[in-house]
Amino acid sequence: MGTVMWVEVLGRDGEVVARARIDTPEARIGRAFDNDVVVNDPHVAPHHLRILRAEDGALVAEDLGTHNGLYAEHGAERVGRLGLGRDPGLRIGRTTLRVHDALQPVAPEKPLTPPRAHARWGAGLAAALFLLILLVNWLELTAEPSANLVVLPLLGLTTVLALWTGGWSLASRILFGQAQFALHLRIAVTACIALVLWDQVSETLSFALAWRALVEYGGLGAWAILGTTCYAHLRAIGPRHMNAVAGIVMALIGTGAAMQHMGRWESRTQVGDRAALGELRPPALRARPLASADEFFGNAADTRARVDRARLEDPAPGGAVEAE
Amino acid sequence: MRFLPFLAAAIVWSTAAAQQTATPPAPSAAQPLSTAAERVYDHARPRIVQVRTLLVAASRQSSIGSGFVVSADGLVITNYHVVSRFALDPKTYRLEYLAPDGTKGSLELLAIDVAHDLAVVKVERGGLPYFTFDTRALAGTLPKGERIYAMGNPLDLGFTIVEGTYNGLVDKSYDERIHFSGSINAGMSGGPVAASDGRVVGVNVAKAVGGEQVGFLVPARYAAQLLERARKGPPLAADKAREEVGRQLDAWQAAFYDALKASGFRTAAVGPYLGLESTAPWITCWASTNADAIPRPRTAASTTRCSSTAGIFVSDSILTGRLDINYSYLKAVDLNAFQFAKELSQRSRSGENRRGRRMTAQECRDDFVAVGAAAPALRATWCMRAYREFEGLYDVTLLALTQDRDREALLASITMQGISHANAVALGRRFLEAIEWGR
Repeated sequence: MGTVMWVEVLGRDGEVVARARIDTPEARIGRAFDNDVVVNDPHVAPHHLRILRAEDGALVAEDLGTHNGLYAEHGAERVGRLGLGRDPGLRIGRTTLRVHDALQPVAPEKPLTPPRAHARWGAGLAAALFLLILLVNWLELTAEPSANLVVLPLLGLTTVLALWTGGWSLASRILFGQAQFALHLRIAVTACIALVLWDQVSETLSFALAWRALVEYGGLGAWAILGTTCYAHLRAIGPRHMNAVAGIVMALIGTGAAMQHMGRWESRTQVGDRAALGELRPPALRARPLASADEFFGNAADTRARVDRARLEDPAPGGAVEAE
Repeated sequence: MRFLPFLAAAIVWSTAAAQQTATPPAPSAAQPLSTAAERVYDHARPRIVQVRTLLVAASRQSSIGSGFVVSADGLVITNYHVVSRFALDPKTYRLEYLAPDGTKGSLELLAIDVAHDLAVVKVERGGLPYFTFDTRALAGTLPKGERIYAMGNPLDLGFTIVEGTYNGLVDKSYDERIHFSGSINAGMSGGPVAASDGRVVGVNVAKAVGGEQVGFLVPARYAAQLLERARKGPPLAADKAREEVGRQLDAWQAAFYDALKASGFRTAAVGPYLGLESTAPWITCWASTNADAIPRPRTAASTTRCSSTAGIFVSDSILTGRLDINYSYLKAVDLNAFQFAKELSQRSRSGENRRGRRMTAQECRDDFVAVGAAAPALRATWCMRAYREFEGLYDVTLLALTQDRDREALLASITMQGISHANAVALGRRFLEAIEWGR
């Protein structure tokens, strides 16, 4: 083990506010100015802590008999001595410190995103999204074409995208220090493209396979896309507390999806399916083999079983008819 | 706008208790017809009752109708729909009569005929004067144009007589109905319609909404038949009435679809396609087009709608027994295949989905079907809902869309209300098999 260590004092948001190089085998830390590292925190004792090396050379923190004591960075229990070999973080008063051995390996350099790459991608994808929406609207246009049909959706989409991206950029600026507008725009536009494509794919598959549920529960796919998008935005902001934040986001998305699904389910049990052919596509997109009349009416018989069951589960009010 | 000469005959029934005081019209100068009306009214007055359905919990009327005495021991004929609340829910409702002399008493339900909308109830009084049936009416030989007199208690205004004209049986109707040219109003339901000698020729039942002075009567012979049944058979137990309604609805649909089959089908051209058409006289068809629409439609549509005018009142929220067969031939004018498919999706969505706890939720099944080697491929959807109160009866909708062309198609639908599963499958199958490319 080497002899040099670094002590980092972290700020409120986890950023490093001060860093001291210690060449001596032992470092003293506290509020008094005769320490090696001076911590400006009223809850820290004048001579709070010393860092020394154990016999195997590993770094160890030792409480110098203070009132507020010594804790591991994420620990809830006060300790007298704390080995720093595995986790370099520790807490004294309201301050978090990290102690690193000079020989500690660090991660290799992260490749730098080429300058303006996100901006280029974002703009390209946004153009693709607008074209995609124009295409979808055109394919669904059955009335007289009008400029409003083109302008209004694009205007609405632009507004939503601007607000959404702006919100994430603001959060990014506050928590990470950089707005990363282009990156957030790129994520948001990608999500929009995914949503539009999912909508089209689920409708087309629903037609091709004559599978009604696919469209009915297509909303769940949209929720999943929303969840993935939020995760991507959070990753861009910073990897700190990623698991906890991702968990909360997933829980929120899951709750939203569940609530929407519940409403759907309730109206389904009361009103049921709609007597309609659903979203249709040109006949060439059919993927399901043609059934014979026997097969069709045979399969359709399960609707009878289902309505008969529904009838028995919730009998008519009033007289006791089926009592016998 | 679609023009229909004959809107669904709305059932005459009302809970409205009119508040204004009814002043009897001043007797006009002696005219022969009015004299006849006075005579009929005098004859009828002691023989008519008001039939009231009361809410047990509140002991107040929840609906009113009329009825008339047909035997000395107090058998009274009225409409089924006047007593339907009691028949379907005897715990919540009870029946009461109110005679013109002010006497009141409870009524016992003896027999019902849901198909013809008739019921026999019994007044707990003996030695009553009563009506007899007109023999010409029973034999169906009453001449068109004869003056007849409808009686009842319209809008709870008091016992009233309405002079009108007998116009024979309604054409194009599966259920026999007399066309009465005279005013029939809510509250008169179940009241008698008598010839000038005071003999009954029919029973008030309905009026055409959207028509003027177009009323409908149940022919007297069905009343006579039900009376016979009520005399011979055991009285209807209150808790068995609903089962009886279900049994009669089932029998009605069996007879209706047998009659439909017996009167035959032919294939009818809808654009270049062929579809199923009934040759039964009581199925009426109407055609419409959007060819004259402005701006010029991007899809040319010509539609044929056929329906039976049959409709059976079961309860305040259930009217059943209708059969509708619709065909639309659609051809893209300047839409591409995707746009045309979108247009078809929107058009197939027109059927509204009825809410209400009287029916179960609707269950549908989608598929692609080819009924024969030469037949065009179809996108078909089969939907069913069951009547909660009546076992084995369903409302069934079958939609079919031809899949053999990109930019033209036949959109077909058939809706069968109050039908058994077997009948629905049989007719549905015939309906699908009839769809062909005809040119």
